[in-house]
Amino acid sequence: MDDRNDHGSESSGSGSHTGQSQSGTRTRIGLDVGTSKVVSARGDNISPTTDSQLNAFFDVPYSALHEQGLKANRTPFYRENDRLIVYGDASEKFAHIFNANVRRPMAKGILNPSEPQATHVLETVLSTLVPQSRNPGELLAFSVPAAAPETGHELTYHEETIKRYLKGRGYTPLAVNEGLAVVLAELAKEGFTGIGISCGGGMCNVAISYLSIPSLTMSLAHGGDFIDASVGAVVNEPATRVKAIKEETLDLTREGGDKIDKALHIYYDKLIEQLVEELGKAVQKTPKLPRNDQPMPIILAGGTSKPNGFRDRFEKALRRRSWPFQIGEVRMASDPLTATARGALVAALAER
Amino acid sequence: MTAAARGSPTERYRRERPPVSRECGEELTRITDDIDDPIVKLRYLQKALNEDGDKSALVQLVPIPPARRAWYRLKGLRALDAVADADEEIAERTLAARKTARRVVVGASAAAMLFVPVLVAIVAWQVNRWRSEPEQVASVGSSTEANATAIEATTAPLSVPTTLTTPAPVEENTPVNQPPVAESLADDDVGIVPSMLWLADRGPDWELYSNGLRIETAYTVKGTPRDYRVHARDGKLLPTKLDRPIGILFHTSESDLWPLEPGYEKELRKGSEALLRFVKREQAYNYMIDRFGRVYRIVDDDSRANHAGHGVWARGDEVYLDLNSAFLGVSFESRWEGGRTLPITRAQLIAGRNLTHYLRQRFAIAPEMCVTHGLASVSPKRGLIGYHLDWARGFPFKAFGLPDLYAQPLPSVALFGFTYDSEFLRTMGERWPGLIAAEQQLAGEARQRAISLDDLRHERQAEYRRWRAELPTPAGDEPGLANRNR
Repeated sequence: MDDRNDHGSESSGSGSHTGQSQSGTRTRIGLDVGTSKVVSARGDNISPTTDSQLNAFFDVPYSALHEQGLKANRTPFYRENDRLIVYGDASEKFAHIFNANVRRPMAKGILNPSEPQATHVLETVLSTLVPQSRNPGELLAFSVPAAAPETGHELTYHEETIKRYLKGRGYTPLAVNEGLAVVLAELAKEGFTGIGISCGGGMCNVAISYLSIPSLTMSLAHGGDFIDASVGAVVNEPATRVKAIKEETLDLTREGGDKIDKALHIYYDKLIEQLVEELGKAVQKTPKLPRNDQPMPIILAGGTSKPNGFRDRFEKALRRRSWPFQIGEVRMASDPLTATARGALVAALAER
Repeated sequence: MTAAARGSPTERYRRERPPVSRECGEELTRITDDIDDPIVKLRYLQKALNEDGDKSALVQLVPIPPARRAWYRLKGLRALDAVADADEEIAERTLAARKTARRVVVGASAAAMLFVPVLVAIVAWQVNRWRSEPEQVASVGSSTEANATAIEATTAPLSVPTTLTTPAPVEENTPVNQPPVAESLADDDVGIVPSMLWLADRGPDWELYSNGLRIETAYTVKGTPRDYRVHARDGKLLPTKLDRPIGILFHTSESDLWPLEPGYEKELRKGSEALLRFVKREQAYNYMIDRFGRVYRIVDDDSRANHAGHGVWARGDEVYLDLNSAFLGVSFESRWEGGRTLPITRAQLIAGRNLTHYLRQRFAIAPEMCVTHGLASVSPKRGLIGYHLDWARGFPFKAFGLPDLYAQPLPSVALFGFTYDSEFLRTMGERWPGLIAAEQQLAGEARQRAISLDDLRHERQAEYRRWRAELPTPAGDEPGLANRNR
C-alpha cells in the first residue's frame, strides 16, 4: 500500500479490540474472510471479542472537495490516481447515496479475478482488523472455502495471497475450512462431530466433521449475492438496495409482501434447493463418510442464513431427501455472523 | 493412516481425510465427554487423531472387538496424558477424564487377562470334542433339522440349507398369519469389518466388494435410463428430474424351487440359469439372488427395470408413483405360496444384506426406502392394494438392519384410499399393523371433514389418477414374471 494515501481509522468496525489476549502474552486471532464481510475474533473462546468490516469498496472521481469531505467525516478511503476508493462499511452508504452497487474484491468466496483492485482492497480491509503482530509468528487462523468445481485453481491463488499478506503482518497463518470452522465454534459438546454449513455472500460452504476431522467438504458458488443479483434483475432494482431490504425486513415464515419480497422468497428457495441437491450429490460420491450411529447435528451460520424462517425451510428441504446417516437437530449458530471467525479462533487457540 | 492422509499441521483443518473407525471414534468420544473446555478437547482430539495415527492400522488387525476397544482407549489415554503433560492447567482440567479412562483401561486389561485363559480352555475343549466324535459330522442333519423346526415354530421364515435336510413342507393347516419379523443373524461384530465399502477386485464377469459381496455381471444389460419426477404430498409435481435410484424394492422371483439336496444339482443349476435368462430378456429386475446366495446384476443400476408395475410409496413429503424408475428391483429366488413367502436360504439372506448395504451406501438410500413389492403394489383399475403379494409379510427387515415397514402406515391406503377385497383377506389372514394404521388415518380424516369414508376414497382415487397422468413416463406394465401372485 506504499503508493496509496490511507485515511480513516484503523478499526472502524462494529466491535472493539485490544490486540492482546487475556493473559497478555500472546495474541490468537480467528478470521472469517468472506465475500461479503471480513470478521475477526480474538481473546478466549468463551467470550471472544469480535469485529467486522464490509468486504467492499466504492470509488468516486478524485476532487479536492470530495477528499476534504471524506476526511471531515472520518470515512476510510485511499486515493489511487484519479479515483478515491472508499472501503469497508462506509462503501455501502456511498453506494446508497449514488443508487449504485458496491464493488467487491472477492466473488464466489475467492479473490475476484475480474476486479483489478481486488488484492489492494482486500489487504486494506484486512488491515483494519488485523494489527501488526507484537510477537513474530503469532498464530492466526483464517477461513478458506472448499474448492467448488469452477474455482479449483483460483482458490490456491486466493489462499496464498492472504497467507503472504498475513505473514507480512508477522503472523503464522493457518487455513481452516469454513464449514469446519462452524463446527469448531458450535459443536464442542458433540465432540466436534456434525455438519457445519456457512451460507455467506458469495457461496455456501459445508463440512461434515467427525471428531474435528473434515471427512467431506464442499461448496456451492452461490450465496446472498446470487439472491440479491437475481432479485435485483427481476424487479429492476440495484442489488445493494435488495440486500438492504433482505437484511432489514425479510421474514421467510410469511409469504406475500411486495414483488421484492416475493422474489426473495423464490430465490431463497432456489438457493436452499441447490445447496441440498449438491450436498446430496457430494455425499453420494464420497467414500469417506464417518460410520457413526448417532444422529448428525447440523449448524447453520452466515449472513444469508439469518432471515427468520431460513432454518425451517432448510430443514424441510433436507428431510425431503434420503441420507446415508441420521439427521439430528438442525439449529442456527449462537451468532451466525461470527461463527466462522469464532471457529477459526478455536483452531488457533488449540494449536501449540 | 499415513502421514499424508493425516495431513500436515497446516492442512489438518482444511483437507478432507478418511474418518477413524467407529470403534476408535466411540472410545475417543467417551474420553472427550469428560473434557469440558472446547480448546482442550480439540487439542486432545488433534493429538490423538493426527500424531498417533500410524498405530490405528495395527489395532484394526486385532480380531477381538473388546480388545480393539481397550487398545483404542489406551491410545486415547496416552494422547490425553501427552496433552496434560505439556500444561499444568490442562492437566488439572483433564484430571477427571484421565481418571475415568485409566479405570476403564485397567478394568478392560483385567477382564482380558481373565478372559483369555477361559477362551483358550473353550477352544481346547471344542477341538478335543471334534477329534473324539468325528461321526457327529454325519449327523448334523438331525440337529439342524431340530433347529429348523424350532425356528419354524417361533418366528422365522428362513431356512438353513444343509446337504442332508430337506426344507420342511408347508402343511396345509399351517397358520398363514406369521409375524413379519424374521430371525436375526448373529451380531456381526465377529471378525474384522472394513470401515468403508469399496470395490476391492474385479474380473471380466464379476465384481468383489470389501464387505464380501460378489456381483456376477455376465448377464448384465443396459436398459432405459432412469428419468423420473416425484410428487410432493400437496400434489405438486416437483420440477427436478431424477436419474438415480432412491430406494430398493424387494421381490421374489415366483419361479419353481427345487429341493436343496444332493442329487438336484442339475435341476437347481438349470432352473437358475433359465430364470436368469428370462429375467434378462424381460429386464425384470436390477438384481437377482439365487438360492446359493449368488448375486447377479441383470439390469444395470442406471437403468429402470420392469419390476414394480403400479405401486405407491412415500417418504416424508415425497410420494413415488413411478417405482420402476425410482427403485432398484432386487429379487430373491423364491415364491409366494400358501399366504407367505417361502423361506429364503441363509446364503440368500447374507448376500441380500450385503447387497442392500452396498446399494444403500452407493446411492445414499434411506432405510425407510427399502420396501417390499407386496407393500407397494396396487391395482389402479380396481382400487385395491396387494396386486402382487411377494414379501407382503415375512421380509426379514430386522436382519437387514432396516426398520419394520410392516408397522408403517401404508401410503397407498392413507394417501390414495386404496382398499382390499375379501380374497385379499382370505389370503393374508388378517391385516398387518401398518395397514390398520393407514385405514385409521383415512377414517380419522373422513370424520374430521365430516364426509363418508367412501367419498374420501373416491376423492383420493381421483387424485391418484390425476397424479399418475401427470407423470412424464407413467409406470410400466406389470412384469411378465411376477404375475398376480395371490
